Amino acid sequence: MILGIPDPQIVLGYGLAIGLALACIVYGWLHWNEEDGSDGS
Amino acid sequence: MAVDTLTMTVLVLIYLAATLIIGYLGYRQTKSSEDYLVAGRCSHPVVIALSYGATFISTSAIIGFGGQAANLGMGLIWLTVLNIGVGILLAFVIFGKKTREIGHRLSAVTFPDLMCKLYKSPLLQYIAGFIMVVSMPLYTAAILIGGARFIEPTLGIDYATALVLFALITAVYVVFGGLIAVMYTDAFQGTIMLIGMTVLLSLTLVAVGGFTAGSSALSSMATLVPTSLAGQGMTGWTSMPALGSPIWFTVVTTLVLGVGIGVLAQPQLVVRFMTAKDNKSLNRAILVGGPFILMMTGVAFTVGALSNVYFFQTSGTLAVDAAGGNVDAIIPLFMNQAMPDIFVIVFMLTLLSAAMSTLSALYHAMGTALICDLWGRGRECALSMKAHQAGIVIMMGVSTALAFLLPVSIIARATAMFMGLCACAFLPAFTVGLYAQAPSAKAALYSMISGAAAWFVWTAFFHAAEAKTLGLCQAMFGKVTLLGSPWAAVDPIVIALPVSFLAMVLLQWQCGRDQPAGVPA
Repeated sequence: MILGIPDPQIVLGYGLAIGLALACIVYGWLHWNEEDGSDGS
Repeated sequence: MAVDTLTMTVLVLIYLAATLIIGYLGYRQTKSSEDYLVAGRCSHPVVIALSYGATFISTSAIIGFGGQAANLGMGLIWLTVLNIGVGILLAFVIFGKKTREIGHRLSAVTFPDLMCKLYKSPLLQYIAGFIMVVSMPLYTAAILIGGARFIEPTLGIDYATALVLFALITAVYVVFGGLIAVMYTDAFQGTIMLIGMTVLLSLTLVAVGGFTAGSSALSSMATLVPTSLAGQGMTGWTSMPALGSPIWFTVVTTLVLGVGIGVLAQPQLVVRFMTAKDNKSLNRAILVGGPFILMMTGVAFTVGALSNVYFFQTSGTLAVDAAGGNVDAIIPLFMNQAMPDIFVIVFMLTLLSAAMSTLSALYHAMGTALICDLWGRGRECALSMKAHQAGIVIMMGVSTALAFLLPVSIIARATAMFMGLCACAFLPAFTVGLYAQAPSAKAALYSMISGAAAWFVWTAFFHAAEAKTLGLCQAMFGKVTLLGSPWAAVDPIVIALPVSFLAMVLLQWQCGRDQPAGVPA
């Protein structure tokens, strides 16, 4: 049982949700000044 | 309710005044039809992120799906995983940037207009516009119901008045200010939602003694699962339903997949990408969007599930029983009983914000679809601001009327239905249109029609939850659904989306083979 939750699928769900939110922060940070592709306006 | 009505009324009026002032600022900046339709294509990244997130998250997500989490448990956290992974990361990186680039290059102003220009097919614009005008009122009505249902007991006004006032006030700034006003107010409302959900999580955790204590208590309540739910596969509120059981299919296919994937091809969200000045703005919006969605749906589902602990400890009942069996009433009841008076007001504003931000986006998308893509397509009047204003008023009226006709506990299901239909009808054609060298209009046409038709047939004749309400199968064949378990619990998206993708891929491949290299199919 992790954090009072017996089902690993639920624990995994919470872990992924928080991990993906962090991934969004990291992505935005790393690509903060990325220029547009060749077909951009 | 213990909250002082005068204080509540004053704060709500201040909130509404602030919203209308921000909407007025948007109106002042609206000089052209491009401003009205795509916010001048120069929105700030934070405004894009908050507008996208606030449009995405409505009262359906908080009240409807929060109530579903109270009823069915924490398994809904997988919807948050998809909301962030698919609804933000995939949507912005894979779809958003390409949509922005192509939308700018082709001067597309609505989702159907983008489809028309991608495929060089006015017919696709008509069909996409028609699907939007027919299906969006259902989702809009669900949001109106969610908002009005909370306003009714909180402000002490009757349901019908709450519903009509809610619809009218939101329509005011959309009609006059267009998308700039909508996105500015979305950003304001998104900020309120973020504050409200943060406080809600904190106070709920205090009420149940912290996350670990609360979830432990919830785990120990597994023996209290009602017999009717246990018989359908529910195993507790901190564990997934039994694999392949009717409740597993409802949670995984309808609530998680239907909404999680459906978000990718929602017209009102796709338009947000076209308001960005450059891809840099979209990258920066991702940074805000991911955590925002976590704090919306992640908190709603966690609080919903944990509300069972609160109700059991205080009144010895489960959340759904405390709410008289109405799943949509669980979160409002929990707020009114468990939270300090002042927070009931904050949460009231949070829900108003969530509902108004989504409503405004839907009004704008429906109204512009009616005028730009159906009534005035290809004509000068398609870009007339006056015509769009009339279109928004018409669609607002239709949605409000529908809200009076829909049954109770419809919020989450209507949301899932709308998003499922969007995915089945639009996603394959939208994806191929963005990325194929020579996208085939014929393939897109068959994909959209087959996806929408398969979705409707499965909804009306096979999926028990909707088939029972529609009554079409009962009238034609004398039984609720044509197939029994487990098919009656399989969401239409599981059937119709592969049909739509298959039609798209096969016909695109065939058209590509029939055409000489370099000639558009």
